[in-house]
Amino acid sequence: MTLALTVGALTAGAVHLLLQRDLLRVVLGAVLLSHAVNLLLFASGGVLRRDEPLGADLDPATTADPLPQAFVLTAIVIAFAITIYLLVLAVTGRRQDVDGSDDDGREEAA
Amino acid sequence: MSLLLAVGLSWALVALGPLLTRALGRRAGYACAAVLLGVAGVVTAAWMTGGETRVDVPWMPALDVGLRLRLDGLGFLFALVVLVVGALVMVYSAAYVRAPRPTAFYVLMTAFAAAMLTLVLADDLVVLFVAWELTTVCSYLLILRSGPDAGPPATRTFLVTAAGGLALLGAVVTVAVRTGTTDLTAALADPAWQQDPVFAGAVASLVAFAAMTKSAQLPFHAWLPDAMVAPAPVSAYLHAAAMVKAGIYLLLLFAPAASASPVWPAVLITVGLATCVMGALFALQRTDLKELLAYSTVSQLGLLVAVIGVGTPTAMLAAVVHVVAHALFKSAAFMSVGLIEKRTGTRDLRELRGLARSMPWDAALLAIAVVSMAGVAPTLGFVSKETVLEAFFSAPDAGPLGLLAAGAVVLGAVLTAAYSARMVVGTLPGPRCDVADPRPTAPMSVAVGAAALGGLGAGLAVASVGALTAPAVSVAAGVDVDDVGYLSLWHGVNPALLASLLAVAAGLTLVLWRRGPVDSLLVGRRLLPVAGTEVVQRAHDGVIRLGRRVGDLTRSDAPARHLAVPVVLLGGGAVVAGALWRGLPEGTAPGPFDVGLLVVVVAGIVAVARARSRLTAVVAVGVVGFGVVLWFFVLGASDVALTQLLVEILTVVVLVFVLRRMSRRLPRVRRRRAVGTAAAAVAAGVAATLGTLVFTGHRPPSEVGDFFLREAEELTGGTNVVNTILVDFRALDTLGELVVLAVAAAAIAALLDARRAVDVPQVPEPRTVVADPGRNAVFLQALDRLLVPVMLGASLYALLRGHTAPGGGFIAALIGACALVLAYLAAPTDDVPRVERPYLAIAGAGVVVAVVTGLLGFVDGAFLRPLHAYVLGVHLTSALVFDVGVYLAVLGVILAAVNRLGLSPAGDDRRDADPRDQRADLDREEVRVP
Repeated sequence: MTLALTVGALTAGAVHLLLQRDLLRVVLGAVLLSHAVNLLLFASGGVLRRDEPLGADLDPATTADPLPQAFVLTAIVIAFAITIYLLVLAVTGRRQDVDGSDDDGREEAA
Repeated sequence: MSLLLAVGLSWALVALGPLLTRALGRRAGYACAAVLLGVAGVVTAAWMTGGETRVDVPWMPALDVGLRLRLDGLGFLFALVVLVVGALVMVYSAAYVRAPRPTAFYVLMTAFAAAMLTLVLADDLVVLFVAWELTTVCSYLLILRSGPDAGPPATRTFLVTAAGGLALLGAVVTVAVRTGTTDLTAALADPAWQQDPVFAGAVASLVAFAAMTKSAQLPFHAWLPDAMVAPAPVSAYLHAAAMVKAGIYLLLLFAPAASASPVWPAVLITVGLATCVMGALFALQRTDLKELLAYSTVSQLGLLVAVIGVGTPTAMLAAVVHVVAHALFKSAAFMSVGLIEKRTGTRDLRELRGLARSMPWDAALLAIAVVSMAGVAPTLGFVSKETVLEAFFSAPDAGPLGLLAAGAVVLGAVLTAAYSARMVVGTLPGPRCDVADPRPTAPMSVAVGAAALGGLGAGLAVASVGALTAPAVSVAAGVDVDDVGYLSLWHGVNPALLASLLAVAAGLTLVLWRRGPVDSLLVGRRLLPVAGTEVVQRAHDGVIRLGRRVGDLTRSDAPARHLAVPVVLLGGGAVVAGALWRGLPEGTAPGPFDVGLLVVVVAGIVAVARARSRLTAVVAVGVVGFGVVLWFFVLGASDVALTQLLVEILTVVVLVFVLRRMSRRLPRVRRRRAVGTAAAAVAAGVAATLGTLVFTGHRPPSEVGDFFLREAEELTGGTNVVNTILVDFRALDTLGELVVLAVAAAAIAALLDARRAVDVPQVPEPRTVVADPGRNAVFLQALDRLLVPVMLGASLYALLRGHTAPGGGFIAALIGACALVLAYLAAPTDDVPRVERPYLAIAGAGVVVAVVTGLLGFVDGAFLRPLHAYVLGVHLTSALVFDVGVYLAVLGVILAAVNRLGLSPAGDDRRDADPRDQRADLDREEVRVP
């Protein structure tokens, strides 16, 4: 329940930031979204069994599902690389935040 | 075995191409010719000694696909045509090509020859298809690189022939599924062809379509004359032996099976004869000799397709002999026209005069080739045309349609004689004209002579040609070798001879006495309402325009417009989730620690949303990140938590790099937008919460997870189950992720090279002690000397122990990157790169290490299977080496960011100001990458 609420809160924050004009906010929104998805993956493995999957002869009744963990571990690093890439996009090309205006992009497209 | 040797040699020649051109320059053509003749020798020896031989090397055993090759009469004949004509063209090229080191040319030409050889020797449907597509790619590249105007014709050629390739793929899949094998011989002998008319009809149509595109039949004929932008050797090879003959080979190969369907003869004869007549008419219109020959090829191929459609043993004999005759006279004619153009500077019929006096030998060779093309005795062209006529006259149950077909063939022969005559009657006689010295072009004359005299000699010694063609005919017609009719120059007076005489006489009449009226009727006139090239070009442009229209819907740089769609979908998801509500998952009563984490995360999110300064927003996102780290710890994932923790640290560093290029304050959000986004955010949050509750936590632990938990140690020797999943069980996924990381590193570098970074906002810096970077960094520098070695040691330790305890390549690389970043941060100035490392090389090395480790797995039977060894009682596994690959790839991406973003923005400006510096920078970059 709390994990689901955390996922919901992260998603809400991510959507709010992604819909902004400023590119830094968009990138931070993407970061929050990746947190939300990673926790969702964890939820899919179940949240009751919380023992570390370390060692031999583990008891599946109490040990956490290792598969989502492996997914999330690589997902974190990939998301990090994407974040760097987005940040580079944000600071190359034309300035996006010179006058701090909050237009809807129509002027830019023209 | 000798078949593998032949195919292997031909591909080895492709690989050796660059070395040969480096050593011999354009004379590499002679070496290529020698190798091709050598391969022809190998194939001939195999044929002489073994008769029909087969090789089967396992390729994809799970799918029953093998590298199967076989040598039967048909394959042998085509292999000889491909290799011998290829060798002649190579000799010709050695004198024709002007570039001092034509590496690409020779590599592509030899690849073309190798692909054709693989095609005609293939005994597996998949191998056949792959070789077919390779010829398409080779011809595209050869046409493309022939000049600045070659782009559109090359693309049109590619589109048309690739469409045929898709049809062949359809045929291959249909046959493989229906007959249950990809073994070509077995598939073609399957009883399904006779029993299942729908199957036979479908495959016959697909194969016919594929062959029609490749062999330039109406209505796909346009690409062949379009491809005339290619230089003479490419055209000669394309038209005589390689590309277009692939279609003919395919038809001959499938004929015994596919002729079970009535579709087969109907399509082939109709299309073939229409193409034959129209192509000849087009050829008669042209004044450019090369174009004339191109349409002549279209016409001759039409004749071949039609006669294959007839399908009787006589017809197949005619088809096979005509393939040989056409290969000889068409290669001779194309190379001859190239030679004439080289020596006179033009290839226009209206400008060429007096060739017989100015260049008697070369003119004589052209005349011999043209006589064979016209089908005049005693050349091989005469024999093949006689046989074609006879095949049509003697076709069973002819009826009125048969008469019509025979009439069309005779008409085609008349027009062929006419355009052939047109090539010589105007150009050979006349006064002497200026031509270039024959000595530089002597090798070209030799190649032309070999092909032209070959056609003449084969006509005179036609019985020996019969020994070569009979086995091929027996394959294509599905009859015994002894039942194949024999060839001879003189058949006695029969309808075929009379028709042939009539055709030549009528053709000559048209050109010699009625030339004016014929020209005024044909030259410069459009025979068809539309031109094929225009249709292809219009279709091509139309598709691109349609793509642009579709793209217009989302072409906007306002992120909200793109994101509205997923947000709406999320809202829809919430409705679905509500409908599927099954109550809370069991055991979800909140523990106190969980609630605390929720509070931390929510507080962080609220702080980000309300932040007015960029720094505040970054710090608040960090708070959220650490909340998530704790969540991972609580959920029993120390590896994941460690990774997230290190990523949070490095994210902050990279954020600080880019914050310097942004204004300090975040722009104010308008009220209207704020309300809209808040509503969307709440909706999305509710949807996500509901979705998580509905879709997760309702089922027992996954079987895969159980398996990993129980078996990981026994199977891999590692006790860190998550790490064993990454490097042992699902290493292919991890390899894919490495590639993503390496691509990200390259993309960051490319982006910063291609686009200018935005200027730093001019903010007056307060000059206080705290703001002075030199003094500010003193503590960090002192700490740095101590910490960096420790961190690097820790990084190595984490890498080595990853298999059995928290750690592994990802975490170790992140620790290492932290050490390097610390060294960067401790520097007193950012004018010079502090940690200049060959980041692209490191990321690339990571991928290479991982792939090589994966290939080592083949020792144990499969890609990426870890190998185990015990040295002095210590368990070693190649999974650790794979983890080193992970390490390098992760490190590469972070170093790319630090190196490229960490520099002073002012330094960027300096480099931008002087393009030479920037170039030098790029060069250095390239040197570093191995």
